[in-house]
Amino acid sequence: MVQTAPPEVRDLSSSVSSHKGDRVFNRVITGAAFTALIVLAGITVFLGAQTVPVLHSQGLSFLTTTVWNPTATPAQYGILGMLYGSLLLAVIALVIAVPASLLLSVFMVFMAPKKVATVMTNVVDLMAAIPSVILGLWAFYVLNPAAVEWQKLLNQYLGWFPLFKNDSGNFLGTPFIAGFVLAVMMIPIVTSVTREVLGRTPPELINASEALGCSMWTMLRYVAIPFGRGGIVGGIMLGLGRALGETIAVFFVLKLVFNINFFHIIQSGGGSVATLIVSQFGESSGNPETQALLAAGFFLFAGTLLVNILANLIVRRTGRIQS
Amino acid sequence: MTTTLFDNSRVSELRLQQAALPWRRRTANFRVAVAIAVIVPPVIVGLLWFLTSIPKPILMLVIYLPLQLIASAIAAWSQRGTKAVLDSAIIVCAIGATIFSFVILISVLWSIVSNGVHALSWAFLFQNNVYISPSTPLGYGGVGNAILGTIMVVVIASLFAVPLGIATAVYITEVRGKAVPYVRFLVQAMSGVPSVVAGLFILTVFILTGVLQSSGFAAGLAYAILMLPTVARTAEEVLKLIPDDLRTGALALGSTRARVVMKVVLPAAKTGLITAAILGIARVVGETAPLLLTALSNDQTVLNPFNQPITALPAYIFSNVAQPYPDAVTRAWGAALVLVILVAILFTITRVLTAKRVRR
Repeated sequence: MVQTAPPEVRDLSSSVSSHKGDRVFNRVITGAAFTALIVLAGITVFLGAQTVPVLHSQGLSFLTTTVWNPTATPAQYGILGMLYGSLLLAVIALVIAVPASLLLSVFMVFMAPKKVATVMTNVVDLMAAIPSVILGLWAFYVLNPAAVEWQKLLNQYLGWFPLFKNDSGNFLGTPFIAGFVLAVMMIPIVTSVTREVLGRTPPELINASEALGCSMWTMLRYVAIPFGRGGIVGGIMLGLGRALGETIAVFFVLKLVFNINFFHIIQSGGGSVATLIVSQFGESSGNPETQALLAAGFFLFAGTLLVNILANLIVRRTGRIQS
Repeated sequence: MTTTLFDNSRVSELRLQQAALPWRRRTANFRVAVAIAVIVPPVIVGLLWFLTSIPKPILMLVIYLPLQLIASAIAAWSQRGTKAVLDSAIIVCAIGATIFSFVILISVLWSIVSNGVHALSWAFLFQNNVYISPSTPLGYGGVGNAILGTIMVVVIASLFAVPLGIATAVYITEVRGKAVPYVRFLVQAMSGVPSVVAGLFILTVFILTGVLQSSGFAAGLAYAILMLPTVARTAEEVLKLIPDDLRTGALALGSTRARVVMKVVLPAAKTGLITAAILGIARVVGETAPLLLTALSNDQTVLNPFNQPITALPAYIFSNVAQPYPDAVTRAWGAALVLVILVAILFTITRVLTAKRVRR
């Protein structure tokens, strides 16, 4: 009896290869794969380097004051109003976009017939593909008049509530309108993530809850939403990162003021770091103000990077539980 | 014994009942209740809409929505009991959110088409903006230079982002080095870089240092930063779909790893990789902030991407919005229409390509 020895097992999953061409190939590909690292490190280093002198001359007041006066001697730069404004806009956008996108994805996953759901997926993707400059154009000419109407009504009937106070009678350029535009941008981003997460709810769990006599609300409350919680939170944070970094759409509809507009969301004037950069850049080429804008950009980058990393970690963690 | 334990007719009866899903039973009463809940509130509100002068937003939000919720709740309660009340509320809200999104999308698209169509003409598509001021009537000047600029900037961005993005994907799926989790993490993090920061980065590194002028090339670099993560992630998904049999088969035939990737894996994934590139282009083609920081604008037709400022479509829209001249605004809408058509074309191509892949 001749027993044939089993062929030698080659480990095909490792990249170790003795072939010279392979080694060159591996090195080239590995080098290219680190472009992301180079870019991120480059942004940190180069914008960070511009931030140091600004922090040196301004001290912490760069982050804690609301004055932007390049012509004063010494020039004063403070972006607190912008930082706060970015957060306020993001909160308004979240309040509108999160319920809307959750309901939208619940409708797509659990209610709509399959064909309708497919159409809606395409519609949501299409919404995501609309460039922000076009949303800004639409917001400026179409949303603005309508939103002024809504805000006047809000002010008329709920004006006693501090949130809806407006002393100036000017309803244009309010944080509400800017937040609404951001919400329109966020809805497709959040929806596409939550739809996927809810769609991954194991069908046997849904069937089991149905067999136990759960209504749809109970099923969502106790099965689908707890199951996808991490993914939903992560999706919301991805949208948040996009909202914080959005520049142009906000530029058209928000009246940029350096003072902090704390919570009068239907009163003209607000702030946004990203918009500050674009709006001040034109007049500032090549002087210390540009450097201050670069420093503002550095903090914007740091903030969005943090939000985005957190979001991805959360999404990934739920992915692991599910798989 | 000839008596059967199971009566066949009983079994089929049971099956029928099971197929009818008792908890989803839709009796005539149920249908009537739903019909009433669906018809009555809109009719009431419709009457109020035409007969009274209640402001429309209040009518919809303060009267219609609660009315619809109550009507649905009553219908649900009468047919299915208290448990169904919350269900009906979710259904109403979900449909409401869906309609809300549709209304916004349609409003955006309709405003672009209806306003933009007035600007369209051959002159608008092919002329540049020299000698054109915001008050120049329509029919003179256009986005020819901006279309050319957009194409130029996007091509430059693709030259960097597509090879690097695909290489990143190849690293993750084919080379499978030790750093795969880190690379994937960095690509994810990079996808969150705001477009204005990408512009600032290129500005700091190349323009403020005097290496480059504000030009199409600088804008292309900024676009490439935004484009790379999209290309890399899509390409990764695509390469994952290539069956391992192809790789092991090629390896078993004695080819080197580099050859496996270049001659087997990448050709097999060709349509998917094209889709990845197009998705990347669609992601960046409307970005404005990097253009304002790195390319500025130029009314002339620019063919050299290195030595002078250049206008692309988003920047053209940007400069014409909020002008006090209606013709300038119409030009902005026209440029928006051109941009949306461009995005729609790119989108359709990806859909056709992916549909083909699925069918195969």
